[in-house]
Amino acid sequence: MFSSLKKKLQNIRTKFTSNIEEVVGAEVDPPEAEALPAPSGVEDDFAVERSSPAPPPPGEREEPTFINKVKVLIRDRELLLEAKDIEEPLFELEMVLLENDVALPVTDEIIARMRGDLVGRHKKIGSSVDKLVESTLRSALCGVLGDGLDLPAYIRESERPVKILFTGVNGTGKTTTVAKVGHYLQENGFSVVIGAGDTFRAGAIEQIATHADRLGIKVIQHQAGADPSAVLFDAVQYAKAHDIDVVLADTAGRFHNRANLMNQLEKIRRVMKPDLVVYVDEAVAGNDAVIRADEFNRAVGTDAVVLTKADMDPKGGAAISIAHTVGKPILFLGTGQGYDDILPFEPRVVVDELLGGEA
Amino acid sequence: MLDNLGASLKDAVKKLAGKTVIDRAAVDELVRDLQRALLSADVNVKLVMQLSQAIKQRALDEEPPKGMGAREHVLRIVYQELVHLMGTPGAVTLGPQTILMAGLQGSGKTTTTAKLARFFQRKGLRVGVICADTFRPGAYDQLKTLCDRISVPCYGDPKEPDALTIVREGLPRYRKLYEVIIIDTQGRHALEEHLIEEIININEMSHADHRWLVIDAALGQQASEQARRFHEAIGIDGVLITKMDGTAKGGGALSAVAETQSGIVFIGSGETIEDLERFEPDGFISRLLGMGDLKALVERAEEAISVEDVDVNAMLKGKFTLRDMYKQLEAVNKMGPLKQIMSMLPLGGMEIPDDVYDVTSTKMARYKVIMDSMTSPELDDPGIIGSSRIHRIARGAGAAPEDVRELIKYYKTMQRALKGMRGMGGGKFNMQRMMKKFGRTQ
Repeated sequence: MFSSLKKKLQNIRTKFTSNIEEVVGAEVDPPEAEALPAPSGVEDDFAVERSSPAPPPPGEREEPTFINKVKVLIRDRELLLEAKDIEEPLFELEMVLLENDVALPVTDEIIARMRGDLVGRHKKIGSSVDKLVESTLRSALCGVLGDGLDLPAYIRESERPVKILFTGVNGTGKTTTVAKVGHYLQENGFSVVIGAGDTFRAGAIEQIATHADRLGIKVIQHQAGADPSAVLFDAVQYAKAHDIDVVLADTAGRFHNRANLMNQLEKIRRVMKPDLVVYVDEAVAGNDAVIRADEFNRAVGTDAVVLTKADMDPKGGAAISIAHTVGKPILFLGTGQGYDDILPFEPRVVVDELLGGEA
Repeated sequence: MLDNLGASLKDAVKKLAGKTVIDRAAVDELVRDLQRALLSADVNVKLVMQLSQAIKQRALDEEPPKGMGAREHVLRIVYQELVHLMGTPGAVTLGPQTILMAGLQGSGKTTTTAKLARFFQRKGLRVGVICADTFRPGAYDQLKTLCDRISVPCYGDPKEPDALTIVREGLPRYRKLYEVIIIDTQGRHALEEHLIEEIININEMSHADHRWLVIDAALGQQASEQARRFHEAIGIDGVLITKMDGTAKGGGALSAVAETQSGIVFIGSGETIEDLERFEPDGFISRLLGMGDLKALVERAEEAISVEDVDVNAMLKGKFTLRDMYKQLEAVNKMGPLKQIMSMLPLGGMEIPDDVYDVTSTKMARYKVIMDSMTSPELDDPGIIGSSRIHRIARGAGAAPEDVRELIKYYKTMQRALKGMRGMGGGKFNMQRMMKKFGRTQ
């Protein structure tokens, strides 16, 4: 996954780099440049000097007026980047992000960060433009992605049983995710019990029971239409009585604009007192992902996020959006239909993946 | 639904309102706002760019027809281009046919299959459903449970691992017995090649008349790519948008329509089996642009109010009694939540705070209770209701006398509004005024 966004980001980087270099090239031309004692940084040398690692010191900012630019050019042999120099590649970056399902507000923020970081920045003649762009983009992406969360470590440090509640809108893959996470935790040596809290959707109890049966996990279930709070409470009681490490609580999908269903979820939270509330959404969701993640977070809180169906979409922009909006770590990515198709999410690895190497 | 997109587009259009001449800057601004609105509604980026180019060009090149302001002119172009983008609604024939459902995992195929079965059943056709989802546990149970509720037969075998076998065995049997056969399939996405192959085989074997793609309203930029692959594989001839009752705007479905050169057939907007609506592109866009969707409202009203319920002629003659108002309130209830009705009225983007709706619907219920405590003469001639009658009615209804007075005041407002309508020959303007008054009495 992410390969498409990765390729696009590579292109954008090149574009930024060339635009900034153009600025540099153009700026060396004016007559004032003759005042330079030894114009060592002519544009021809850039290709060679690219590799030199010398990002300009942050914090030094001046208004990129002409006078200032000349002053800096003469004094420090540096260039000040101007807003218009990067306007075009920024617009393109914006389109790339949008095309890759990064939600509009999140895109705006990344662009704003990039602009804030680049405009007025001192750019030493001959210092690596590539590095500058990369580090800016990296910090912007890292900024919006947040941290990951190591679930096995978390469970080891917490009091047993650890109760995990799964929430989300309809059809995002909560039930499948519960099964996958159950399998993953079993592999990591934990005992697991599942509470069949989706008592609404036809066939949901059969679905989770079949999964659990295949995986050899105990399921606590009532009949369809029962109060999910009661089911999940029983699941917790069962775990306590049998020294089970983790309770995974499945719930029915619900829309965030249905007050009653959200209240029901709130009741579940009150009754079973989960240690982690995990919000499940799909990586192919568009801008609405931001709205609903936000609403769920407000209604019942969210401690971590699982993004499903990441294999459908080589782009993964929703991952960036949701992580940013909820401000919560992404726990797993769902990447297929098998029980093993679940990946612990590490933001730094993702950013490295996006920016590093040739796509 | 679609509230947010509507709001941003309204803003964009409003900016043109005061302008008499179309200047480039104003159009540029409108197009940029339009772009942002459509992008945040998940419409495909390339599609948005094409659309905005076309709009910009036409807005600047074409002369506005005589008597049409700059705003109306541009609005009309925006409208036409959006209608064009949306294509014609997919055709639904009410006759014997086989429908193959396709879509991504979790887009709502199974639920929609049951809703469709219900739709055709209500149109008087014999419907049978085949569950060809052999992969997801509980899929057969889910479809069977839903179908049992509406007494539609459901063919399937949770133990059979091969979807093709099920279709091969079930289809000929069902074709003899039923007119409409809907085949539900497993969720799949374009990158799962063996699954794409499977649906190609199912399609070939079943000779399905329609292959409908189910699209989640929240689906983002992927919609375009996924729809393209599905289209390549089996030739999609209709798109169903699901989960329109959430906050998602369904822009992804637009991309899918553009990609498959087909039309939107139905939209799903709720969890019960009845929550399926035919798609009307005109109404869809009108609502987006804040122009109101009179057509949909009228249709809905016709469905809800039978002729004998409300005697329009008597009302227009000024014979509007409490009894008529009672019927009207009931009719409004039948038409659905007030908010939905209001969103279809041409209020020119008038902002109505959400709590007004809540108050209104509870108040309406209370009005009905009060009217239930009135005698027939009182209902026919509210003029006879004096102070002592008010007290009696209030006691009977368990309400305060003030509430009864308020009801009578409300009735008088309505009566005046209707008289006004007669005077002006009826129409949009009066409807607006009435609805405004309606809002104020709260």
